[in-house]
Amino acid sequence: MASKQETLTSEKRNKTIASVILTIICIIWVLPIVSVVINSFKKNTFVKTETFALPNAQSAAGWSNFIKGMTFGNYPFMAAVANSVIITVLSTFLILFFCSMAAWYIARVNSKFCKILYYLCIFSMVVPFQMVMFTLSKTADTLQLNTPFTIPIVYLGFGAGLAIFMFVGFVKSIPIEIEEAASIDGCGPIRTFFRVVLPMLKPTLISVGILEVMWVWNDYLLPYLVLDINKYRTIPIHIQYLKGSYGTVDLGATMALILLSIIPVIVFYLALQKYIIKGVAAGAVKG
Amino acid sequence: MATVSLKHIEKIYPNIEGEKKHHFGKKKQEEKKKSNLKQVEGGVLAVEDFNLEIADREFVVLVGPSGCGKSTTLRMIAGLEEITSGELRIDGKLVNDVAPKDRDIAMVFQSYALYPHMTVRENMAFPLKLRKMPQDQIDKKVDEAAEILGITQYLDRKPKALSGGQRQRVAIGRAIVREPKVLLMDEPLSNLDAKLRNQMRAEIIKLRQRIDTTFIYVTHDQTEAMTLGDRIVIMRDGVVQQVGTPQEVFDHPANLFVAGFIGVPQMNFFDAKLVKENGVYKAIVGDATFVPNEAKQKRLTAQNVEPQDVTLGIRPEHVTLTDDAPQLVTGTVDVSEMMGSSIHLHLNTLGKDVIVIVQTQDLKEEKRGGFELGEKVSFTFDGDVIHLFSKKDEKNLEF
Repeated sequence: MASKQETLTSEKRNKTIASVILTIICIIWVLPIVSVVINSFKKNTFVKTETFALPNAQSAAGWSNFIKGMTFGNYPFMAAVANSVIITVLSTFLILFFCSMAAWYIARVNSKFCKILYYLCIFSMVVPFQMVMFTLSKTADTLQLNTPFTIPIVYLGFGAGLAIFMFVGFVKSIPIEIEEAASIDGCGPIRTFFRVVLPMLKPTLISVGILEVMWVWNDYLLPYLVLDINKYRTIPIHIQYLKGSYGTVDLGATMALILLSIIPVIVFYLALQKYIIKGVAAGAVKG
Repeated sequence: MATVSLKHIEKIYPNIEGEKKHHFGKKKQEEKKKSNLKQVEGGVLAVEDFNLEIADREFVVLVGPSGCGKSTTLRMIAGLEEITSGELRIDGKLVNDVAPKDRDIAMVFQSYALYPHMTVRENMAFPLKLRKMPQDQIDKKVDEAAEILGITQYLDRKPKALSGGQRQRVAIGRAIVREPKVLLMDEPLSNLDAKLRNQMRAEIIKLRQRIDTTFIYVTHDQTEAMTLGDRIVIMRDGVVQQVGTPQEVFDHPANLFVAGFIGVPQMNFFDAKLVKENGVYKAIVGDATFVPNEAKQKRLTAQNVEPQDVTLGIRPEHVTLTDDAPQLVTGTVDVSEMMGSSIHLHLNTLGKDVIVIVQTQDLKEEKRGGFELGEKVSFTFDGDVIHLFSKKDEKNLEF
C-alpha cells in the first residue's frame, strides 16, 4: 500500500516537473510573437530600450506604426499583399493538385520508374535551397518565371518533395478495393481520382496545404532572387525595404507589418488545425 | 442475368517484381509462397486451365483454402485482373479485354469498399449517377434496394457510423441497385462475427430469390458454399478439383482433398486394403472388413479397379459407436468435446485421429457428460457410405 502511494507521489512529481519544463518552453516559443505584438504598438525609440515592456502612455504609438508601415516608400503595400496572395494561392493549388495525382500514381503503380521518381522527390527534400539558388534565379529569369503568376511553378518544384512524400503515405493506407469498386461502378482513372480518391485525401490535402501556405507566404529568399523586385514585391520583401539608407530600421513599423503579415497565416492555421492532426495521424492506425 | 463462360482460363503472375503491383499485394504474395502453386516459364501459375459454364441466374460458389486461386478467378471475371490466356464470355460476348465498368457486373468486396466520404444513399446512387440515370429513377431504385436490405433508416448516414453487418448490406445494396448481369461476391461475410454471418447468409439466400441475376460467390467457408450454391467449384493450388451440386460433392467427392475439405467435422481417413473376392470388392481396415454397396461395386467394377492399398474415407456422422457389430474398429479417446446435442469424440485409431459424432440422446445417462480420456471404445460403419481413394493420385476410385 505504502509503495503504491510512493509510486503515485513520484508520478505526480514527474508530471509537475514536466509541466513546468513544457510551460517554460511554451513561453520561450511564444515570446518572439508576443514581443512583435507589443512592439508594433510602441514608438520606434522604445522598441530597443523597453523591448519586453508593455506600451505605456509614453511609449504607445497607437496605430501610427501600422499606418507608416503601409504607406512608406513608393511601392504600395496592398500590391505586395496581392502578390503574396497570388503566389501563395497559385503555388499551393499547383502543389496540391499535381502532387496528389503524382502520389496516387506512384503509390498504385509499382514500376521502377515510379520508385525512382519517388526517391527523387525524397532526395529533393534534403538538397538545401542555397545550393541551387543562384543557378535557379538565372534559369527562372530565362524561362520568364519571374512574375507572381509564373513563380508558382518554381514553388511546385521545391514543394513537391514533401507533398508527394505525405500523399504517398496516405494513399498507401487507402484500401485498393475502394478504387476497384469505383472502376466496377463505372469510373475511369480520372473519375476515380477526382470522385473517389481526392475526397478521401481531404485531411492530407489540408495538412499539406497548411504547410505549403505557411512556407510560401513567409518565404523571403526565393521571391527575392527570382522576382523582378522593382515590379513585384511580396510582403516579406516589402518589410525589408523599411530599412533606411544608412542601415537605420524603423522597428516599430517593421513589427507592425510583421504582425499584419502573420495574421492571415495564423487565422488560416487555426481554422484548419483540426485537420492537420488528422492528416499527420492518418494511415498510422487502422481506421 | 446472364450466362458466364470460362474456357481454359489461366493466370500467371510474373516472378519479377511486377510492372503492376495493383492487386497482388504483400499478403497475396505470402499466400502464394505458402501454397504449392506451379512455377511456369514467366512466373507463378495462379489459376490453371479453369473451365466452367455458368447458367443464367445460377448461384455458383468458388471455394477453397487461402491462395487456391478462387479470388483471382473472380477478379478476372470482374476485369480487375488480366487474363493470361483463355476465353471469358459474359452473355456470349468475349470480355477478356473489356474494362470492368463495361462488363455490366457488380462486385461486393470482403472489406465492403464503401466510399467513406459519401452517405449510404450517395454510395448506392453512385453507379447509377455515373450512368446518367434521371434523379427520380435513382431515388426510386435506391429506396427499393434499401427496403429489400432493411437499411432505409441509415440512408443519410456515412459508412463509419454503421456496424459491419450494416456496411455489408450497403455494399450489397450498391451492387444490386444497378441490376447487373452478374453479381460477384468476394468473401462478403468473412469480416462479420459468427452470429451475423449466419444471419447475413440467410439474407443472401432471400436476396437471391428476389433478384434475377447470376451470382458468383467466393468463400473459404465450406458451410457458406454448401448452403448458398446451386453448384460448388472446389479449388486447390489454382486447379479446379470438382464442380457439382452441394449434395454431389458431399456424397461423391472426386478426390481426397475434396473429401477432406467439404463437411464439418472433416472426413476420417484410414489406411485400408481393397481386395476383390468372388467379384466383390471389400475394404479391410485393421481387423474389420467393409463391403461397399451395390452401386459402389458397380462403379468400381466399371472403373476396373485393381485390388490395392487405398485410403478409406468415412464421415464422422456415419460412424456408430457400438460394442455389438460384426465389424468393429477400436480406438482410445483423446478428446471428448461436448457440443450440447452431440459429443465429438476424437479417437486414436490405428495411429490416426478419428472423429466420431455421438448424439447425446443415444447415450446412457452416465455417458452424457462426455467420455473419459484414454477410454477404449469401438465403432463401426456401413459399407454404403465409405469412400475409397487411390493412394497414388488421391482420386476417388469410383469415378
